[in-house]
Amino acid sequence: MTTQPAAQKIDVLHCPWRARCSMVVMGMGQLLYGQIVKGLVFLLAECGLLYFFITTGFEYLKGFFTLGTQEENLWLGVKGDNSMTMLILGIFAFILLGFFIILYLVNVHDALSTARDVRAGKPVRHIGRTLDAMADEKFHITALTLPVVGVMIFSILPIVFMILLAFTDLGGSVVYPKLASWSLSAWQKIFSVGQLGATFLKILRWNIVWAVLATAINFFGGLALALLLNKKNVIGKKIWRAFPVLAYAIPGFISMVGFKFMFSQSGPINSLLTQAGKDTIFFLTNDASAKWWARGIGLFVNAWISIPSVMLMATGILGNINTDLYEAADIDGATGMQKFFKITLPFVVFSITPVIIGMFVGSFNNFGIFFFLRSGTYSLYGDYFLASDTDLLINWLYNLSVSNNYYSIGAAISLIIFVITGTLSLAVYVRTAAYKQEDTFQ
Amino acid sequence: MSDIKEKVTSKRFIALVLGCAAFAAGGLAAGGVLRTVLLCVALYLLVWAALSLVLGKRSFGRAFDDVNTYLVLIAVSAVFVFPCLWLILASFSKSGSLYDFKGFFPPAYSIETFRTLFTDDVNGLYPYKTWFLNTLYVSSCSCVLGTVLVILTGYVMSRFRFKGRNAVKQTTLVLGMFPGFMGMTAIYIIMNQLGLVNRLEALIFLYAGTAPMGYLVQKGYFDTIPFAMHEAARIDGASNLKIFTKITLPLSKPMIVYTALMQFAWPWSDVLLPKLLLKNRTNWTVAVGLFSMGEDYFARFAAGSVFIAVPIVILYFCLVKYIVGGLTAGAVKG
Repeated sequence: MTTQPAAQKIDVLHCPWRARCSMVVMGMGQLLYGQIVKGLVFLLAECGLLYFFITTGFEYLKGFFTLGTQEENLWLGVKGDNSMTMLILGIFAFILLGFFIILYLVNVHDALSTARDVRAGKPVRHIGRTLDAMADEKFHITALTLPVVGVMIFSILPIVFMILLAFTDLGGSVVYPKLASWSLSAWQKIFSVGQLGATFLKILRWNIVWAVLATAINFFGGLALALLLNKKNVIGKKIWRAFPVLAYAIPGFISMVGFKFMFSQSGPINSLLTQAGKDTIFFLTNDASAKWWARGIGLFVNAWISIPSVMLMATGILGNINTDLYEAADIDGATGMQKFFKITLPFVVFSITPVIIGMFVGSFNNFGIFFFLRSGTYSLYGDYFLASDTDLLINWLYNLSVSNNYYSIGAAISLIIFVITGTLSLAVYVRTAAYKQEDTFQ
Repeated sequence: MSDIKEKVTSKRFIALVLGCAAFAAGGLAAGGVLRTVLLCVALYLLVWAALSLVLGKRSFGRAFDDVNTYLVLIAVSAVFVFPCLWLILASFSKSGSLYDFKGFFPPAYSIETFRTLFTDDVNGLYPYKTWFLNTLYVSSCSCVLGTVLVILTGYVMSRFRFKGRNAVKQTTLVLGMFPGFMGMTAIYIIMNQLGLVNRLEALIFLYAGTAPMGYLVQKGYFDTIPFAMHEAARIDGASNLKIFTKITLPLSKPMIVYTALMQFAWPWSDVLLPKLLLKNRTNWTVAVGLFSMGEDYFARFAAGSVFIAVPIVILYFCLVKYIVGGLTAGAVKG
């Protein structure tokens, strides 16, 4: 027998029989090398996963494609398939399958590296050494495991589910016990000329107007407030700043529900109007005359809640402006207006463009304002489909998919929202990436 | 120089003319409110015109600026404080219903509402005490868990370069663009499958589990801690776990405080997820319960709100320094 050179490569095709065992049965190689704990963990994981896939997992995978084959039949006492559950369990099984494959690869990789250690004459790593490695070289993997699992289950799984849901016909009349199937019917309904399509266009138009107005008001309001509090002649800045911070600190829903009471039909403002002998105004009531009142109040309440945080942020940024610029401007005889438009505004806008876009996206998807102000009622006029004239797309999405059962249409709308906000954010992301590069050139 | 002089003179002239016009209009206007407003404007403009005649140019400009600044400050502060004051006074109202109020303020005050808030649950309709304990449980647990997860994620993403790091970065970026509760239907089904519907633990898992999505602020903070310190410790033979617990964590107190506050405040005031997942009234959190109260129970709503707003407001005021730090860290990094 020839002695093998220590440097000979060990890969999947050329490796000792003990490592090869791991390719057949996970953990076997590790056990043969004497890594009992690690081997058992792999072995148990394989047994568990195989058991899962043989007993139920395979059915889940099949159900993902069929979305159910057996309709419930109460006469014959047949239990039916639930398409929605099958879809989500199908996705879950796919994620688990992916995890299985990754685990298998990790196992093979681990066996090969142990084989390399043995070939090089190093001792086999035992459990204590493995745990040390988890706290050191592999710290990032150990630390990220739990966050990744959490995000997988509670963020990625639901979002994948919703994306796929948009391409089924689930919802409306197709709910349990009826079986769903894959289809594009939701998209056809949204882009057709029916009531649904008309409602979509009306809401989209108002949503864009809202996002632009709300962002502008909040940004300039916050900036103006920060500038005002930054003025040299203001004494007791901390005290003045406390008032907006108070508004910022109160939980948002309390402010919104509070304002709902303030503007309600029997609220203080209307009661003052009646005392003065005037008619009450329908501020937020479900009435056609309330349309612009409610929209205006929405903008005001949104400003009341958001301006303080913009103010705090702008204060931080204003502190970074080089005061020499202002002194130079003073010497040149610039007026206050000129200083604002030529120095302050450009500086603030450039340093927080990403935040402005973030604010725009946030306003575009501002669910709370009209949900709390108008309690999620639907307009009884104006031909809206399950929405009110102040609702944004996100409110409509909630009405459709959570309050009523229009799942696939709701999912399609959330995809549209994603495309709109995603395009905007991406444009800014690319821009800031370029901006950062610009910095490195300087 | 003559330019500036002319400007002041013309401003004075415009103020005079506008003041007279407003005065005349106010005199002619029939409506009570409009008349008062116009007369106030007239008074303001005329006083300035008169003052500018009496005072010199320079001191006039300064006084003008001072008084205007404070007038605006008072107005703005009033806008921010008034609703809070209104709610606080309403919580002390003797009669509970909004219908009994004369204008903004209740006709009589008492501390009764705060007492009944905890002792009387209106036949099981508004069990505030239970809600409050539920909220406290959910918020504290998700605060601890969520903070640990976010800090770990932010730290690893800042300090380690590993395979799949970019994939993680891009995935979170894209996921963040989806509307927040787009997956609510799915979350309900998942929780149903896990047997967690109507359990407070469902909320804790949800809040803590989705928290790492917002790791960017924390990453931005860790990026500012010099790498050199990390490397020096590495050379001295410290393991990564040791560096994290012994060096990084003690240096990141402001960020930990900010993260914990945000992780606490969110469950404290969220309505949607509890509303979706908790079906029994006794399982609700305060936010859902307060949202369910109608105008008949306005004082109870106000008292309940004040009671849960006070601790969080105090926290915000004590930690405002950290919040500004967090906000600007997030702002500059994007």
